[in-house]
Amino acid sequence: MKREALTQRLMVLGVDGMDPKITRKFLAEGIMPNLQKFIERGSAREDLSHLGALPTITPACWTTLATGAYPGTHGITCFWRQSPKSLDAVVYNMDSRNCEAEQLWNVTTEAGLKTLVWHWPGSAWPPTSDNPNLHVVDGTQPGSVNMGVAQLDWEKIIAANGEITELIYAPKLERPAGTGCMISDLSAITEEDEEPATDMMELWYGEAAMTGSEIREYIMGPENMEMVIESIPHYDVVNSPLKAAEGWAAAPADAKEFTILTSDGIVRRPTLILKNADGIYDRIAIYKNKKAEKPIVVLELGKMVSGIVDDINKEGVLKPACRSMKLLELSPDGTSVKLWISNALDIAQDKLWHPKELLKDVVENVGPVQPVSLVGGEDAYLVEKVYEPAWDSYSQWQAKALNHLIKTRDYQVVFTHLHNVDCAGHMFWHLAKNLERWSYTDPKVNQDFIRKFYIQTDKYLGEFLHLLDEGWTIMILADHGLLVGEEFPPQIGEYGGMNVQVMEELGYTVMKKGENGKTLKEVDWEKTTAVQTRSNYIYINLKGRDAHGIVDQADKYALERKIMSDLYSYRYKGQRVIGLAMRNKDAVVLGTNGPQCGDIFFTVDEGFSRLHGDGLSTVEGAFDSSVAPIFLAAGQGIKENFKTVRTIRQVDIAPTIATLVGVRMPAQCEGAPIYQILSEEF
Amino acid sequence: MSLEQLNANKFEEIIYDNLEACLVIFSRKACHVCKDVVPVLEELQPQYRDRFGFYYVDVEEDKNLFQRFSLKGVPQILFFKEGEYQAKLAGAVDEDQVIDKIEEVLES
Repeated sequence: MKREALTQRLMVLGVDGMDPKITRKFLAEGIMPNLQKFIERGSAREDLSHLGALPTITPACWTTLATGAYPGTHGITCFWRQSPKSLDAVVYNMDSRNCEAEQLWNVTTEAGLKTLVWHWPGSAWPPTSDNPNLHVVDGTQPGSVNMGVAQLDWEKIIAANGEITELIYAPKLERPAGTGCMISDLSAITEEDEEPATDMMELWYGEAAMTGSEIREYIMGPENMEMVIESIPHYDVVNSPLKAAEGWAAAPADAKEFTILTSDGIVRRPTLILKNADGIYDRIAIYKNKKAEKPIVVLELGKMVSGIVDDINKEGVLKPACRSMKLLELSPDGTSVKLWISNALDIAQDKLWHPKELLKDVVENVGPVQPVSLVGGEDAYLVEKVYEPAWDSYSQWQAKALNHLIKTRDYQVVFTHLHNVDCAGHMFWHLAKNLERWSYTDPKVNQDFIRKFYIQTDKYLGEFLHLLDEGWTIMILADHGLLVGEEFPPQIGEYGGMNVQVMEELGYTVMKKGENGKTLKEVDWEKTTAVQTRSNYIYINLKGRDAHGIVDQADKYALERKIMSDLYSYRYKGQRVIGLAMRNKDAVVLGTNGPQCGDIFFTVDEGFSRLHGDGLSTVEGAFDSSVAPIFLAAGQGIKENFKTVRTIRQVDIAPTIATLVGVRMPAQCEGAPIYQILSEEF
Repeated sequence: MSLEQLNANKFEEIIYDNLEACLVIFSRKACHVCKDVVPVLEELQPQYRDRFGFYYVDVEEDKNLFQRFSLKGVPQILFFKEGEYQAKLAGAVDEDQVIDKIEEVLES
């Protein structure tokens, strides 16, 4: 069918984790002037929210936004799916082939509209149609463009001074807040027998995961919880001697030198420390080798430099890669220096660009894909000096790339995703309230970091304001919000694996014990009647369905009743922790039914939520935060300066876009257009 | 002729400051395989005089270098040229393998 379009151009500006409640706080403070302009020129609810789908988990909600279908219908119900082989394991799910509902971009491209889908972490990759109108960039992980496939080298802090006598390289050290960058005993931190540190990005989104390998993570205690793991930054540390420059082809008098190591320690970059006309050492110049005439880059104190391209050595093969760097400290006399270098992204990695020539276009006209930072967490020094500025730089690169593509390629529909707020949220939002576990951190400092990320987001959104004057319709929306946790929660509802603690206490999940009575990381399937995996799901260990099933089909109903009853009775610090618990068939009222939603769907109650992904979409937290996602629309086809009282459900957004651009509804759409905000009567 | 031993600072100078094309065998005194491989290198060394350097690192004396290159076990022969790591050979290797690798590095 043909429908008259209300707009010829529409762009979705998706900001992962953008919370309308905290946004309103910052709007009132006057620190989000660009968003204010969008609001004045468009329509939204007074509270700027929409009702997010359940679970409040990234790929599930982005897929709902793309399809207009509830997670129970489209089948993407967490970062992972249940392993078909075992109840305690999960498999990769950021794969569009798992989605059972039609994506709106398939409809727009079929209708002849040129459509770009940029880093949409919900059923976008691999491309869902071979229609030449469809262009897709990444979407295989929620981080940043190319993060999962182009990384060649990890982030590093390099410290150099006269007291260090030999060059030392220590890979992937965990550095809790307050730990310096000096390595006094290398063997103490790199014991050969030690289990290698888990790289969560690799484990969750790496090559093995993408090809279907099982991921078996047990959340046995607080130390396995994401908020604990992510708040401790880890990075490579290099300690270098610092001395007068010697043997250089191009070193000025009085220059000093130290050494940077890259490429997992096998590449050395000699670096000069240089002084200004006043005799103060204020910058460094990094060279390929001492014979080189020109430096790779010159870094001034305190200034982040992005887009630096240097070769990374992978098993003897050199690959040009893009890095950001910042000279963090340099004593005026040049005797002590500290700098950060980002991870390195292969500038030619076009695996996730469709068509591939899009990468070349962006690299040549905007610059190579910029890396972000993943170090920060509880280390306020790194968040302030590295983590936030690196994301700011990336956000600006993304805005430039999108504006370039829009300007030159005649797209009519553009779906985009930025992950700055959510990524920061996972690292330190919980530090914005003074929880006992992190009593050594300062909640005020972390509240200001939240503020900074919203200012950064506002700056990013501002880069697209001009499109309103060029006939575009813009939607600003999120998958879910992020709350500041009120409490350190018990281990249930953590999306990263199988949650042991509460289910073990209630007697449903039984772990094997070692000779000394110590709990082993192994499920005793002969005694386990149910497990809790991923965000909100409980599976009965059922005979005939599950590999080690012990519960008869005839006993399933009664067991479900008992589990739900026990969950409601469960107390943590005297309080009920579980909000809702219901059978799979009943969870259809929440849109969380079907084979990927467990036998019981449950939510963690307000007050015990971590950040997002365990409770209802309406849950609120400390520091005026909430899990609700933002929604507003402005431009062609949208009422100006308008407020609606309509409850806007996440499933309503895809049909609203379909109405605006004049195409049919996606096949499994369960929502309805937001008639109230459209300029035309329907 | 025995191989010249490198410590951490000498290693920096030869490989990175002088940009020498060379190999470095990481070995340990008590390692039996090393005792077989080192003489192979000693024998080859004169043929490559002024063209390709031959060095060794004792991993017990310079654990730092061993860790920096993320090496697991000895012996390991690492090849360098113009300050860049090129390739490595691990375990019991014969003369032909070493010659092939040297030629490959020199020609690259």
